[in-house]
Amino acid sequence: MAQVTLDNLAFRYPGSADDAVRGLQLEIENGEAHALLGASGVGKTTLLNLLSGLLAPTSGRILMNGEDVSALPGNARGVAQVFQFPVLYESMSVAQNLAFPLRVRKFDKAATAERIAYVSEELGINELAHKTPRTLTLFEKQLVAVGKALMRPDISLVLLDEPLTAVEPKIKWRLRQTLRKAQEDLGVTMIYVTHDQTEALTFADRVSVLAAQGILQTASPKALYESPEHEFVGHFVGSPGMNFVPARVLQVDAAERIGFRPEWASMDTQGSLRGTVTRTRVLGARGGQPYGLVTVATEFGSVSVRAALQVPDASVEPGAQVSVRIRRYVAFSAQHKVAEVELV
Amino acid sequence: MSPFPLNTKWLKLSSFKPKDNRAWLGVLPVVLVIAFSAVIPLMTVVNYSVQDILDFNTRYFVGLQWYQETLNDPRFIDAFVRQLGFSATVLVLEVPLGIAVAKGLMRAGRAIPLVLILLALPLLIPWNVVGTIWQIYARPDIGLLGVAVNAMGVSYNYTAEPLHAWLTLVAMDVWHWTSLVALLAFAGLTAIPQAYYQAAELDGANKWHTLRYIELPQLRGVLIIAVLLRLMDSFMIYTEPFVLTGGGPGNTTTFLSQYLATMAVGQFDLGPAAAFSVVYFLFILLFCWLFYVSVVRVDE
Repeated sequence: MAQVTLDNLAFRYPGSADDAVRGLQLEIENGEAHALLGASGVGKTTLLNLLSGLLAPTSGRILMNGEDVSALPGNARGVAQVFQFPVLYESMSVAQNLAFPLRVRKFDKAATAERIAYVSEELGINELAHKTPRTLTLFEKQLVAVGKALMRPDISLVLLDEPLTAVEPKIKWRLRQTLRKAQEDLGVTMIYVTHDQTEALTFADRVSVLAAQGILQTASPKALYESPEHEFVGHFVGSPGMNFVPARVLQVDAAERIGFRPEWASMDTQGSLRGTVTRTRVLGARGGQPYGLVTVATEFGSVSVRAALQVPDASVEPGAQVSVRIRRYVAFSAQHKVAEVELV
Repeated sequence: MSPFPLNTKWLKLSSFKPKDNRAWLGVLPVVLVIAFSAVIPLMTVVNYSVQDILDFNTRYFVGLQWYQETLNDPRFIDAFVRQLGFSATVLVLEVPLGIAVAKGLMRAGRAIPLVLILLALPLLIPWNVVGTIWQIYARPDIGLLGVAVNAMGVSYNYTAEPLHAWLTLVAMDVWHWTSLVALLAFAGLTAIPQAYYQAAELDGANKWHTLRYIELPQLRGVLIIAVLLRLMDSFMIYTEPFVLTGGGPGNTTTFLSQYLATMAVGQFDLGPAAAFSVVYFLFILLFCWLFYVSVVRVDE
């Protein structure tokens, strides 16, 4: 188990003119479940390969427990990885697969058996011990692959590379739940790399949002949602993402733009932002009133509001002229957060 | 409502349904092609194998006599044992060598297309030309190999020494066919996702572990094909030894097919040759089946 630090980490593929990743600065606590969230092509895989020791950084350092491991190969760093699809030794049984990382390190047989029992129990795969991988479902295989990554008692870091990609949506949450529980029980430092915000936000203690220019923000899922440091974070996290309008709409001078979440606004007749309803979607009822997601076309583009679908004297239905009242917003200048404001 | 209307309806439907046996006509072309290309020739051989044919009009039914004679013929048994030895030897050499070449090829980088062409060359040469190439190459008087080996102080003459003839034949077969195994194994290796190697490295696996637990299991399918192809082909080998050694010195390199050719074409012993052919055919079938049940079916 380790505390992991990225110190101004950069990597450029040989022959390439641009850095694949650069200026990465990150501290991950010992035993933390950390998620790296980013769209495709921002260097998630590169960063993963840097962490696993497959690539050596062009500049900067990777520290584990304060020790520079940049030049060490992955197995000397004590890193294990779970891949997008389950990677198992097909000719071995599940128990042999689990035992393998300990076997090659000459662990005592009894200790290995004990560890297999412990990890299998944790993941609920005791029943599978004597099966071969080819008889397992994809879900079970991925569980075994996770188990294999958790086998070494001295593991410093477990990397998860979109481990739910191949798994059926229905059982994704089960695997995530199991993963999270095992992470907490074993106190392993985990880095979960994904482009799926739901996965990142539900799995991790803290999430780093990665973009082409580097890590934009590292924060708890709640903080990431409520006070994004960068416009991109607001836009990328949340479904739908944050709405952005020019700051002058609210007569704010100290910022360029303001962003507000769909819940931070309501439908009104005297709001500051006027527009035409283009779409409504009922999500349920609140206080006896229908409640849902309203899309409003304004002169600054389309805005989403999650609010009651009824206002006094006005109907909220497609084509209606309405106004949006903003109760809370985050102000941005040059894409960076400058203020968070609650309006009463 | 009683269930009768339903029942009569069902009865009516089924009894007036046109018989779909005409669909069998669609299969007829395939049946004909297979009959003319495989079944009829084979049955002709089976027919010959139970008769003693003296001339066009004179033939006697002899039952299984030719089969008994074939199976008790010491020359057949010798050729059979030689054949087994030859097939086993070339398989043991070509399969590991082919895998090794394929693994080396994976690291050849930009040279891969060139090496692939070079590897494919032996496979493109007609078999009797391969025999001729080696026949000349290995000649102790003018052949590059033969002269070189003798110049190194090793007395080598494949036309006189049975052991030398064997070594030359095996070397020729390895030269000719290792490429096939290598190409198949290469195709298999390129299909292994990189993640398997990464995972193995992080697990702390060494090169042997990677070969044993990742590459060989993943190559299983192509290696089964490679072994089957080489087993059948080497068991039927004819042209190359015929050109290279002519089965000699003595009968020391006479394999089954050559002995069969001598019987059928040389001596016109059609009955015994036919019985021989059937036995030969059944043995190849038997080996492939044994291989199949012992390797392929084990894990299903």
